[in-house]
Amino acid sequence: MDAQATIVLGKAIGAGLAMIGAAGGGIGIGISVGGAVMAMGRNPDHTATIQTNMILGVAFAEAVAIYALVVSLIILFVLS
Amino acid sequence: MNSFWNGKRRYIALLLFLAGVFVALVVPPVIPFIQLAGENLPSGYDIPFTDIRITNTFVAAVIVWILLLLFTVYIARRRPSDGGEVPPGGFYNMFEALYEGLMGFIGGIAGGAHFRLIFNMFMTIFLIVLLSNWMSLVPGIDTVGFIHPHTKEKFDPETEEYKVITTDGFEIYQGFLGISYVNGQCDWISPADEAAADQAALAEAEAAGLAAQQTQIEDAAYARYQAAHGEHGASEHTDEAGGDHGEDSHGEEAVESAATAMDDEVLAARIAEKQARANRGCYTGVALAPWQDGYSDDKDAKKKPIPLHPDPSSEEAKRVPWVVLPLVRVASTDLNMTLTLAIISVVMTQYIGFKALGIGYLTKFFNFGTLFKSPLGGIDVAVGLLELIGDFAKILSFSFRLLGAMFAGAILLFVMSFLVPILPWPFFILEFFVGAIQALVFALLTAIFMNLATISHHHDDDHDDDH
Repeated sequence: MDAQATIVLGKAIGAGLAMIGAAGGGIGIGISVGGAVMAMGRNPDHTATIQTNMILGVAFAEAVAIYALVVSLIILFVLS
Repeated sequence: MNSFWNGKRRYIALLLFLAGVFVALVVPPVIPFIQLAGENLPSGYDIPFTDIRITNTFVAAVIVWILLLLFTVYIARRRPSDGGEVPPGGFYNMFEALYEGLMGFIGGIAGGAHFRLIFNMFMTIFLIVLLSNWMSLVPGIDTVGFIHPHTKEKFDPETEEYKVITTDGFEIYQGFLGISYVNGQCDWISPADEAAADQAALAEAEAAGLAAQQTQIEDAAYARYQAAHGEHGASEHTDEAGGDHGEDSHGEEAVESAATAMDDEVLAARIAEKQARANRGCYTGVALAPWQDGYSDDKDAKKKPIPLHPDPSSEEAKRVPWVVLPLVRVASTDLNMTLTLAIISVVMTQYIGFKALGIGYLTKFFNFGTLFKSPLGGIDVAVGLLELIGDFAKILSFSFRLLGAMFAGAILLFVMSFLVPILPWPFFILEFFVGAIQALVFALLTAIFMNLATISHHHDDDHDDDH
């Protein structure tokens, strides 16, 4: 196998492995939205507050997944 | 104008669909060269009288500023000075409804004494990020720009020189009206690779031919052996030397024709491959000397402008891969833009904290007040230091969240426009929402952090004093 092919192979495997981190963010978003929807169903009067806090929590959970995404993007498009 | 859009102009959607079909068939889409950092525009487009190069994301940022300025002027002119009502309908009313909705939203989160300041920051960041995110939906952005040879300088440690190496790209395609495209159906293959492939095919054909010849000779020999030893009873015919000779030459002929047939098979595949490329309008078999650029042995190659030569219509153009350098690239796909916004956001948060709490704001970070008063005072110190680190982490978090979401969205649009050029609309709708949500999250988190900074920690001290 020539060197270029090895580099491409390593990049592809590395980027794929880095994206495993997105699983945690997905689980977190699922749990927080699930909890928020249940809370909204129980007391619809507080929908606005719950929604705000939910968006905040989702943003934090999503940030972790996006770190993984950025790492994999850097592996794919910045490393040479 | 309004009456034009008020009617049921649904055929416009059909026309757009047909335009998509036309474009997909005539000018097939290309996955652009994807690069995380913003690309420099070619020389001649840099800031006058300086060496500072302009990146294409900066162009997009400037466009966002101009749009925001025009927008502000428009809103200010439309706004009734006497506080009267504006007739319903129109862009102004839509914006007013959005503004009032967001004002109530932020009022619920940060409705304290510093509401005006926090809301101004919120709205500014929201509008800037929203406009730059939505720019990725505009056709022509990220795709129309300068076409240039895709070459890279690589430092060669042996000769200590920068070598120009050609990398991947597409062949250039001369369109009508003198406009050049990159031809998405023709991956560029370097002439050296092309020649090497030819050589390999020839060698393989030769080897296959020789092997076939070998087998043919062995087969013939075996057949003769069989004929000689298998038919002892009928050995009278083989006694004649002339007959033997004739048989031999016949066998050689067969061997030769078989070998050429094998030759043809491998070479024919190679020729068919080339023909297929040619049928797609690609250049094939361009056997020219490697392209030499003028600045190959320049140590300072990075500062050199991207060469716009060779002339796209010249013969030289066929020797290099071409890519498009977009004139405008979405600003939020550049780390510089998102990092700047994040720093502004965090620094303004500290400013609002100092404004609200005075110098006492620093006790949020350096909380030594309780260190010798209570047995758990050390924890307060650690928490304060964690808050300090957390504020720096906020910068990273803000910038990478927006960058990651928008850059991934841009790549999604590239790939989908390439795979389904006729109907990529669902993904544009998705990006529409992602852009809005990311802008809201960025601005909302800023507002929340600013509100947190204005809240004093003194009630904790009071609590301790009570005990």
